[in-house]
Amino acid sequence: MVTTADPGIVDRLVDFGTALRDAGLPVGTDDVLAFCTAVAELTPSDQEDVYWSGRATLVSRRDHIPVYDEVFRQFFLHLRPPSAERKPVKDMKVPQGSTGTINVPDTEPGEKEADEPPLVLGLQASSLEIERTKRFSACSEAELAAVRRMIARIRLDPPRRRTRRYCPDPSGARLDIRAMARQAMNLNDSAPVLLRRDRKHKTRPVVLLLDVSGSMADHSRNLLQFAYSMRRAAQKVEVFCFGTRLTRITPLLDRRNPDAAMRLASERVLDWDGGTRIGTSIDAFVKAWGRRGMSRGATVIVCSDGLDRGDPGTLAEAIEKLERLSHRIIWMNPLYDSTTEVPPTLAMAVVGPHVDEIASGRDLASLEEFAARLANIG
Amino acid sequence: MSDPGFQTPASVAELQHQLRTVDYLADRGLATATLIALRLGRPLLLEGEVGVGKTELAKCLAKLTGRQLIRLQCYEGIDPHQALYEWDYARQMLHVRALSEHELADARTIGGLYSEEFLLERPLLQAVRAGSNAVLLIDEIDRADDEFEAFLLELLSDFQVTIPEVGTVSAAGRPLVILTSNRTRELHDALKRRCLYHWIGYPTVSEETDIVRVRAPEATEKLTSKVVDAVHRLRDMDLAKPPGVAETLDWVHALGAVGADDLRGDTATDTLGSVIKDRDDLEAVTSDISRVVPHG
Repeated sequence: MVTTADPGIVDRLVDFGTALRDAGLPVGTDDVLAFCTAVAELTPSDQEDVYWSGRATLVSRRDHIPVYDEVFRQFFLHLRPPSAERKPVKDMKVPQGSTGTINVPDTEPGEKEADEPPLVLGLQASSLEIERTKRFSACSEAELAAVRRMIARIRLDPPRRRTRRYCPDPSGARLDIRAMARQAMNLNDSAPVLLRRDRKHKTRPVVLLLDVSGSMADHSRNLLQFAYSMRRAAQKVEVFCFGTRLTRITPLLDRRNPDAAMRLASERVLDWDGGTRIGTSIDAFVKAWGRRGMSRGATVIVCSDGLDRGDPGTLAEAIEKLERLSHRIIWMNPLYDSTTEVPPTLAMAVVGPHVDEIASGRDLASLEEFAARLANIG
Repeated sequence: MSDPGFQTPASVAELQHQLRTVDYLADRGLATATLIALRLGRPLLLEGEVGVGKTELAKCLAKLTGRQLIRLQCYEGIDPHQALYEWDYARQMLHVRALSEHELADARTIGGLYSEEFLLERPLLQAVRAGSNAVLLIDEIDRADDEFEAFLLELLSDFQVTIPEVGTVSAAGRPLVILTSNRTRELHDALKRRCLYHWIGYPTVSEETDIVRVRAPEATEKLTSKVVDAVHRLRDMDLAKPPGVAETLDWVHALGAVGADDLRGDTATDTLGSVIKDRDDLEAVTSDISRVVPHG
C-alpha cells in the first residue's frame, strides 16, 4: 500500500504509532496504515505536515490531542517531557483538607466468617434479618451490606418516552398505510385488513446526582449501589457524585463486578464525607454537562438531604437552569418520609418550586417503592 | 470529478490557497486533514464549537471542486428510510389501479412497480449514485440515535446500498464525505475509526480578522478589528454559549445594518443579540459591557 515512502521512514512512523499506543491512545494497525499512506501522499516538506497527518489519522477524540502533542514532541522533536505540573492528561485537583478516600465494604463482609466451619449444608436463610423500614443510618455495617445486596435486586423500571419512530401496534392510533398497501398488493382482491401503528417507546435518559457529603454518608453508599443497579437496568444513565464539587463516575460503574465498581467510584470521588455545596455542584453540572444536552429530556434524580452550606441564591439559580434543561427533577431526601412534611431546610424551600417530586429513599422499603414508581413519574 | 478544471492540489499550501478563492480560510491543520481526505477517499469527521465553520467547509469544498453538495441533516429519530430511499406507495397504488382498470396487469407490469420510477431517492442514495461527483455532508451526526450511527458505518465503509427489489447500487467513485458533530454526545468509536478526525478550534485574532475581511468586505478596518477583539474578550468570559465565528460575522453584518462604522459601548449593547443567544449570558455581558468594549 505504502509504496512511495522509503522503508526507514515507514519504520519510524510505525514506531510513532506504537509510542502513541504506549501512551494510552487507541491506535489500531489500520490507523497506522492510514497515517503512513497519508504521509506518503503528502510527501511532507517539514514536520508540521507529519504532525497534522497524524492528528487527522491517529487521533479521534479531542481529549487525546494533548497526549498526541506530548508524544509527538518527545518522538520527533526529542524534547524531554515537561515538568509534572503540565500533565498531558487532565488530572483531578484535590481540594485542600479533603484527602480522605473511603473503602466501601464489599457486599460479602467479614472474611473471618470464612474460617468458621460450614455447619449447615443446603439452603440457609441469612442470619441477618433486615427490617425493610429500618433507617439506613441505624444499620450496622453487616446489615448495610445485606441491604446493598437487596438493593441490587430491586427491579428497576426506568421512565420511558415516546420516540419519533413508529412500530406496528394493533391498538395504535394511526393506520399503517404503507403496510396496508403492501399487504393489499399481495392479497390481490381479498378483503383488506386495517393495520395500525404507533410511536415506539424508549427508555428515558436518567441522570443521578448523588450527595456524598458528611451528612449523607450513611445513605450515599447505598445510593451508589442503587445507581449501579440503575446503570444496568436503563440504557442511558449518567451518575455524578457531589459534596463540595462534582465528579462524574459513570464510566466507573460499567464494571461487571459491583464491588469493584463501588471501590473504583469511591476512590475517584475525593470529597466523601466532606461539606456540601449543592448550588455550585448543580451549577457545575449544568455548565459542563447539562448545556451540552446530557439532561435534555432526562429524568434527573438528585439525592441529597438539603443540608447545604453554600449560598441559597446560587442553588436557586442552578436548580432553575436545571429545570429548564431537563424533563423531570426528582429530589430524594432521606430526611423525608411520606408521612411527614418536607423537611424545613433552607435548600428544600429554595428548590421546592422547581422539583417535580420529592421521594424518600431513607430505607429499603422506600427505595423499593420509589423504584416501582419511577416509570410513572417520567 | 465533474469539474475538469479541478485537480486535487499537490500540497497543503495549494489547497489553502484554493479554499481562499472560495472565501474559506482554513488553517494548516484543517487543510492537511482535508487534503488527506481528498487523497485517500476517507470520510472527514469535524468536531468543534458551534459556529466555527464545520458545515461551511463542506459547502466551500463543493463549490471549489464543482461537485454537487448533498446534505443530510441529522435529527433525533431519523431512520434509514428518511436517509436512504423510500418507495412511493401512493403512486404505486395509483399505478396498480390504472393497470387493473385497463386489464394490463401481468408479471412484467407488476414487476415494473418496483422500478426506478417509484423509488424516492434520499440523500444517502443520491450520494452513492453520484459517487465522486458529490460532496456528502452529514450534518450534526451527534443528534441522530446510536442505531443510525451503526447504519452509517456500513454505508461509509462500502458505499453501496442494497435495495431488495432493485439490486445493489454501488458508487462508481467515492464521494467526499464530511461529517460534523457538536459533541452533544460522544460518537461511537467504530464510526470515528472509519473517519479522519479534526477538531476545529476558535481562530486566533489575526485569523479571525482575515475571515471577517473576506466574508464581510464592506466593513471598515476599524470596525473589523474592534469587533474581533470584542468577540475574543467575550470568549474569555465564562459564558454558557461563547460566540463562534458565525456570530462574529453576524455581529459585523448587524452593525453594518444599523449604519455603525465603529463599535462603542452603546452600539454594542444594542446589537448584542446577534452574538449572545442566551439570556443569562446577555445579562452578564450587558452589565460588564465596558470590559468587552473598552473606552465606553
